[in-house]
Amino acid sequence: MARRPLLHAGHAFLLPWFVGFFGLTLGPALASLYLSFTNYDLIQAPGWVGLANYVRILTADAKVAESVRVTLLYVVLSVPFKLGFALAVAMLLNQGMRGLPLYRALFYLPSLLGASVAIATLWRQVFSGDGLLNRVLLIFGIHGASWVSDPDTAIYTLVALSVWQFGSPMIIFLAGLRQLPRDIYEAAALDGATAWYQFWHITIPLLTPVIFFNLVVQTIDAFKAFTPAFIISGGTGGPINATLFYTLYLYQEAFGYLRMGYAAALAWLLVLAIAAVTALAFLSSRRWVHYET
Amino acid sequence: MNAHAMSRRSLLATAAALAASQAFAPDAGAQAATRLRLYWWGGTERAERTNKTAALYTQTHPQVAIAGETVGWGDYWTRLATQAAGRNMPDLVQMDYGYIFEYARRGALLPLDAYLGKELDLSGFDAASIDGGKVDGKIYGVSLGLNSTSLVYDKQEFDRLGLPALDWPVTWEDFAKRMAEATKALKRDGTWATANAGGSGPALEVWLRGRGREMYTPDGKFGGTASDMADWFGYWQDLRASGASAPAEVQALDKSDVDTALISLGKALVSFANSNQLVGYQAVNKSKLDLAMYPAASATAKSGQYLKPSQMLSIAATTKSKEEAVKALSFFVADLEAGKLLGVERGIPASAPVRKAIAPSLDAMAARMSGYIAEIADKVSPLPPPPPRGAGEILALLVRSNETVGFKRATATAAGASFIKEATDILSRG
Repeated sequence: MARRPLLHAGHAFLLPWFVGFFGLTLGPALASLYLSFTNYDLIQAPGWVGLANYVRILTADAKVAESVRVTLLYVVLSVPFKLGFALAVAMLLNQGMRGLPLYRALFYLPSLLGASVAIATLWRQVFSGDGLLNRVLLIFGIHGASWVSDPDTAIYTLVALSVWQFGSPMIIFLAGLRQLPRDIYEAAALDGATAWYQFWHITIPLLTPVIFFNLVVQTIDAFKAFTPAFIISGGTGGPINATLFYTLYLYQEAFGYLRMGYAAALAWLLVLAIAAVTALAFLSSRRWVHYET
Repeated sequence: MNAHAMSRRSLLATAAALAASQAFAPDAGAQAATRLRLYWWGGTERAERTNKTAALYTQTHPQVAIAGETVGWGDYWTRLATQAAGRNMPDLVQMDYGYIFEYARRGALLPLDAYLGKELDLSGFDAASIDGGKVDGKIYGVSLGLNSTSLVYDKQEFDRLGLPALDWPVTWEDFAKRMAEATKALKRDGTWATANAGGSGPALEVWLRGRGREMYTPDGKFGGTASDMADWFGYWQDLRASGASAPAEVQALDKSDVDTALISLGKALVSFANSNQLVGYQAVNKSKLDLAMYPAASATAKSGQYLKPSQMLSIAATTKSKEEAVKALSFFVADLEAGKLLGVERGIPASAPVRKAIAPSLDAMAARMSGYIAEIADKVSPLPPPPPRGAGEILALLVRSNETVGFKRATATAAGASFIKEATDILSRG
């Protein structure tokens, strides 16, 4: 009996979260599931169209195929490069140097700014035809392309922007590295293992749980990336759909062309795709992630 | 995902609007029985003029308070659609000819015919100006100003280079030659005579009409053929090849607004624009600019250009105070004092008495815009059929198709064929 007031207090403390979850997350999500079976145009009442939206997305929409290709290219390039870069910087910072907190903060800075509109705008300036990058290249006599406005290179500027924002996986790697048991390294060193050998056969295997965590989180983030492409292409996904992320196409359909029902269907397919990729990652993890027992 | 993006211009405009609205809001809001929200797109200049006009109205109508809301063109329709979805549309909405049909036919706008001659005084309007705001025979929008498409070009630089002014009529063929010569005469690395307008909807429309076709037929189909489009993309590819126009990777910097137009970036001397934008273009260009008509199909034919309401004012169907909203609308479009405050910043006023009242106070640039509209009046064609649902998406398709040719991903012929195929698909979806 004495526990009851505690239980009530617990519920009371949870209430704000419940309100937020049901009102702002679950409710809208269910509403969008319903809308995905309608022709809702934001102004008129939605009309039921059954599976028509899904059928069109999966069979008849060439732009879906294009945006899926662009998104997959982005995910496949940005995630490994970003994780590799984050790990490299974390290893450097783990050398026990002085002023570590300062460097850690400095390296984390791009990630704090990263999702902002200002950085994407800055990026556009740096990689434009007469931008900073080309001016530097010109010093070495190289005439650079107009990176952001050339369909061959535009997507790579977005990948570079993503890699540059390596702060959050870097911090997590650093925390993981600091917990690795020192005695294993000492034993290996005594046995004559090189630093390279130690990295591949001690650091990486012991770090796999952290790598796995970062991989899953960053992959989901990469699938959801929107702002950089929106700002750098001015919302068009251009030139020639070279930066048409799936999320950007979804946004265009919803708010640009008032096809909210169709966009809701696109969004639900994205949720399913991300869930499937995450499930695959978890399944594969049994083969390569080593937990200490 | 963060969908909130704001351009520098829209930020400035919002800041200005806020400052201005605070200047008159407190005393107006305190006693007002009716609150009206007024929503428009545009820059700082427009925000100042609009807020002053709203303040003037609330001074003489203390029962009404008007709250201004403004963003840039880029965010405008997104926000309006979202507000419409939330049954929270502003009472008075600045409307565009390309969007009025979508909003009216979806039942989002109030038909104004019942108020004509009562709350709504359009006695100074000619019939054509009123018709410009009609959808399916009913009035859904009233013109805030008349404009037409126009080249905005660097007249000062043309004079310096000894190039002839772009006086009507310059045929498309002639235009291509003269632009190629201009680039050669200019000898400036990274600057071309003209922007590449192969992705410009208004330019295509004028060109198609010169061929006796409409951009959209009365039953909402695309009016050009695959061979028309192949010719169009080919024409602009020739201009790239001759150096007359900017190449594709430079043109891709243009985000269809004044600030990123190539003439504003110092990369071109000629921009395909609208006459009322002269003020905006001049503000960001040091050199003296002038207006000229789009190129012509032939030296003798009529231009495919037309006079249109550059912006209209509409009323949301969901407004709680219909009569008050209509009265305020009438004030904005037809009152002499309001006309003096608004000037010609949105185009030439459609009301004859307002035009007469503001004529003495126009500055040189406003007078030039006014003069341009007067000069072209006998050279233009009638208003085309309304753009169908999906017209906005066609504009994006046009930019992309022109880029596929410019970046050598497709020949002009292939781009023409695939444009028609995609356009047909878009318009059949609505």
